[in-house]
Amino acid sequence: MTPKKFLVVDDSTTMRRIVANSLKAIGYNDFVEAGDGREALTKLDSDTAINFIITDWNMPEVSGLELVRSIRSNDKYGKLPILMVTTRGLKEDILEALQAKVNNYVVKPFTPQILREKIDQILASI
Amino acid sequence: MESKNNMENVFSKLGDLKQFFVFGQKIVPVIQKIIDFMSDVVPLLENVNNSIQDSTSKIPKASTQINSVTSANEIATSEILDIIDAMFLDLSTIRTGLEELKNEENSEKIKVLNEVVSKIENDSSRITISLQVQDITAQQLASVNHLIDSVQNKLSSLLFELGKQQDRPIPTFDPASVSEQDSDYAFSDGTFNENARYDRSTEKQDLVDTLVLENTKTSQEEIDKLFAK
Repeated sequence: MTPKKFLVVDDSTTMRRIVANSLKAIGYNDFVEAGDGREALTKLDSDTAINFIITDWNMPEVSGLELVRSIRSNDKYGKLPILMVTTRGLKEDILEALQAKVNNYVVKPFTPQILREKIDQILASI
Repeated sequence: MESKNNMENVFSKLGDLKQFFVFGQKIVPVIQKIIDFMSDVVPLLENVNNSIQDSTSKIPKASTQINSVTSANEIATSEILDIIDAMFLDLSTIRTGLEELKNEENSEKIKVLNEVVSKIENDSSRITISLQVQDITAQQLASVNHLIDSVQNKLSSLLFELGKQQDRPIPTFDPASVSEQDSDYAFSDGTFNENARYDRSTEKQDLVDTLVLENTKTSQEEIDKLFAK
């Protein structure tokens, strides 16, 4: 699978820019952004080109974890790969995210190399 | 005979009365001391009450100032990212220019200059990574704000009780006093991670990698069992 379009979900504009810049640095130039889970779901409903999701956990309205659960229960885009990028690095957090069926997990602060590694691992596994 | 008995009764009652007055004489200084103590303590309690009221009225300002710090940090970080983006464009222009200038005579020099350009690009990337600290500190500040909110709620309920007794106005938080920009950072529960840390070590990511690897080997049923405990 080749990622056509990324959806970058984070309430921090700084982090959205950093993720976007990192994606550009590793050769992915097509992405859209959302400031929280609710906005992300709206974008997923309207933009069928999105085929890879990178989401933060702690966000207002709909959190990253709630977003993952909503996506996984959706017939239309339930199988899209999801990479969670978050400050939460406790074991129970990681297990909770895995239980919600994220494909992989990155703890902030991250480097573009880590991002590339996790994206590649996800792509290789689906 | 009956009259004698009555008189004895009266004397006995008078004796009781006398003992009561003797006891009263002994107890009066103690009561006086209690009254003096109360007179000293009441102004102190009044001061405590005023201090609580004063602190409670200042808390919303502290909260707003924390939000302002987060907002200012985000603006400054965004400006740094703008500069880094512009630097990358300039470096790309320099790289193109160097390629055009390249010939047999200066190829070594151009190679060195290209290496310098690469180093600047790498350093700029490292600055970008470090700027993630903004998001992490924003979450830490949000956590502090959340604590301040909890303290204010406790103090407000305490003042409400005191105010009910003394008919005093209770200081309240006026949301209109928070600017629109600051209100963007009014974090609620779940929008921040109180354990957020700026940690460049790979320890946490290593833990993730181990758990992800285990997860690929472990059935979903086993994970669900772990959470059910």
